[in-house]
Amino acid sequence: MKKKILPYLLLAPMILIMGVLVFYPIIATFSYSLKKWKLTAPNDIRFIGVKNYAAVLTSESFWYSFRNTVFILAVVVILTTVLGFLISVFLNVNVKGSGILLAIAILPWALPPYVNGILWKFVFSSGYGFMNKVLLGLGVINQPVEWLGSRWSLLLLVALVVTWRSIPFMALVCLAGRQSIPDGIYEAARIDGGNTRTIFRTVTLPLMLPFFGIGITSASVTAINVFDEIIALSGYSDLGKNILVESYLTTFSFLDFGKGSAVTYLVMFFAGILGVWYLKSLNREVEY
Amino acid sequence: MKKKILSMFLGISMVVSMAAGCSGGNASEDKATDASTDAPNTETAPEESGEGGSITLMAPDWAIPTEEQLAEFKDETGIEVVVNEVGWDDIRDKMVTAAAGGQAVADVVEVDWSWVGEFYAADWLEPLDVSDEVKADMPTLETFTKDGKVLAVPYANDYRLSYYNTKQYEDAGIKDEPQTWEEVYENCKTLKQKGVCDYPFALPLNAEEKTSTYLMWLAYTMNGVVFNDDGTLSKDSVLAALQYEEKLIKDELVDPADKTSSGMDAYKRILSGSANFLTGPTSFVSKSTNEEECSVIGQIQPILVPGKDAKATVTMALPEGLGVTKFSENKDAAKKFIEWYTSADMQEKLNASNTAIPTLNSVLKKLIDNGTIQNAGAMMEEAELIVSPFPGGVPSYYAEMSNAMYNAINKMALGEMNAEEAYAEMEKKVAELVKAE
Repeated sequence: MKKKILPYLLLAPMILIMGVLVFYPIIATFSYSLKKWKLTAPNDIRFIGVKNYAAVLTSESFWYSFRNTVFILAVVVILTTVLGFLISVFLNVNVKGSGILLAIAILPWALPPYVNGILWKFVFSSGYGFMNKVLLGLGVINQPVEWLGSRWSLLLLVALVVTWRSIPFMALVCLAGRQSIPDGIYEAARIDGGNTRTIFRTVTLPLMLPFFGIGITSASVTAINVFDEIIALSGYSDLGKNILVESYLTTFSFLDFGKGSAVTYLVMFFAGILGVWYLKSLNREVEY
Repeated sequence: MKKKILSMFLGISMVVSMAAGCSGGNASEDKATDASTDAPNTETAPEESGEGGSITLMAPDWAIPTEEQLAEFKDETGIEVVVNEVGWDDIRDKMVTAAAGGQAVADVVEVDWSWVGEFYAADWLEPLDVSDEVKADMPTLETFTKDGKVLAVPYANDYRLSYYNTKQYEDAGIKDEPQTWEEVYENCKTLKQKGVCDYPFALPLNAEEKTSTYLMWLAYTMNGVVFNDDGTLSKDSVLAALQYEEKLIKDELVDPADKTSSGMDAYKRILSGSANFLTGPTSFVSKSTNEEECSVIGQIQPILVPGKDAKATVTMALPEGLGVTKFSENKDAAKKFIEWYTSADMQEKLNASNTAIPTLNSVLKKLIDNGTIQNAGAMMEEAELIVSPFPGGVPSYYAEMSNAMYNAINKMALGEMNAEEAYAEMEKKVAELVKAE
């Protein structure tokens, strides 16, 4: 009997923590999303069913933000995966000072997102930006370029900045994945006549899929949740807003907790679908 | 067995310690933990305070009184003030989060003029008693008044004043200061043509609050009206102001960087001589005489804001005030603090210690007359022209309206739409908000 109780007792603290800090807010937010709850109308809080969801899903602003989110997500995932993997290949070469190189490669990952955004704002600022100064100095351009002045260039920059922060984790995961593949498999493949390209395609890539899965899931979550970099680069401008900025504006700027909670739930729903899809398609069991 | 007992003990201790950490505790303990560690008086626990009890104050760094000033207040009233210094940007979010849960983020809180409508609608502020004498001497108080109730008392004055670079005018052969907005435009063109200043007009165009307020006071000083009585936009006035801004952008009289850099960066161009004309905060009076901030000292002249046919007869104020939260358990002490903090004597002291511009016109006049505020120009005259542009006070939907306005202006600046389209976009949104109110 004691043996049956003990595991539950040991799990109890974690269940309590998860319950209070994760499950309760999720349930509470869902209940808010079903209410008309604007803080500036404290006497008019009432249950309205799915009307908030209907309002959000028919709003032009939400779909604009959604398209921006999808764009950032696509660019971040593709670039992070490709560049993260390439960097892991370089880091896998055992040379003198590779430890230092690894430490340098991890640096962007350690930067707080807002600091990251500010740093890149200095680089791409229209007036006093580093990039404009370099290009003007080299005679590549005659007039400063307004890097942050159009929707797509701004979104591309946001995606690049987020990619810069996401690459180290992907590189580390890929490096761990690459180093976990036993050398014997490569030897066997070579004996069987495999060249570098064939070995990469038939050995390295399939065996590393679960690691890509972890890296891509992490990069996707980062790309969907990007907030600080957007605020640092373009403030609350309509141009670059994603669904997280939309959620923040609705909830905390416009004080509409009902509609804001609905936006938050939709973000969670889309992220959930993506997560399940990744897990199903990439996280395969690997046997050596 | 020992291991099992140890595991159980650790598990139970963790649950107990977490429960303790999550417990509500009493109000005074909360206040003690809320206070920031580097602010004055934070080390004194409220229980140790004098007979008058203790209150908490949440405000940005420029509003925090010195330790000596707080000690004087404690000596006078016996009330201990526990200071919680918070960045201006975070105060509203903290207030919203706490008030949504029915909690007081502090007894006395910073209240920006733009938050008044929504805080009033949400019923988060305690009405304050202000004497008729103070009301008559403090024109910015009108901004913090809704339905006859004073919701906060302004402590730092900020109203729109114009500035121009006199040396650049001389270099371009322009003799007189501009009287009308059309003259400002013509003079800017001359400055550019003669190569004196490439981008003479400092104009915030980034998607942020300053861009909306600029349009408001441009329309207000140009045509004397921004909003109709029902809260919708006054088309003739606002569209004319938008077209004026569009003209400045098209003629390249505004720095392209102003479209994406912060509004304050756009304003500050006048301090380096890269802009000639600015209508902006009163703080630029002192900035224009500060060697650390200004490289063209002696060249910037504060003048009355231009109007349509002559100087404008009104100006807009954007002051900051202090209010008492509805959820405060120390309302009387909090009100006493605000009365002391905004008194004539303290306004003089805060000007010396925090460079706050007085909100009492009598104090402002005294400081200008005795030379404490230098290079004041038309500062005093302009202070007497302060009138709120909002017919029924700042509306509860101000944040959403401002967001729609600055985004439309930013799109116009970036060439995505023209002035008429930008106006149509903001008019539609404002009409929706007014209807939903």
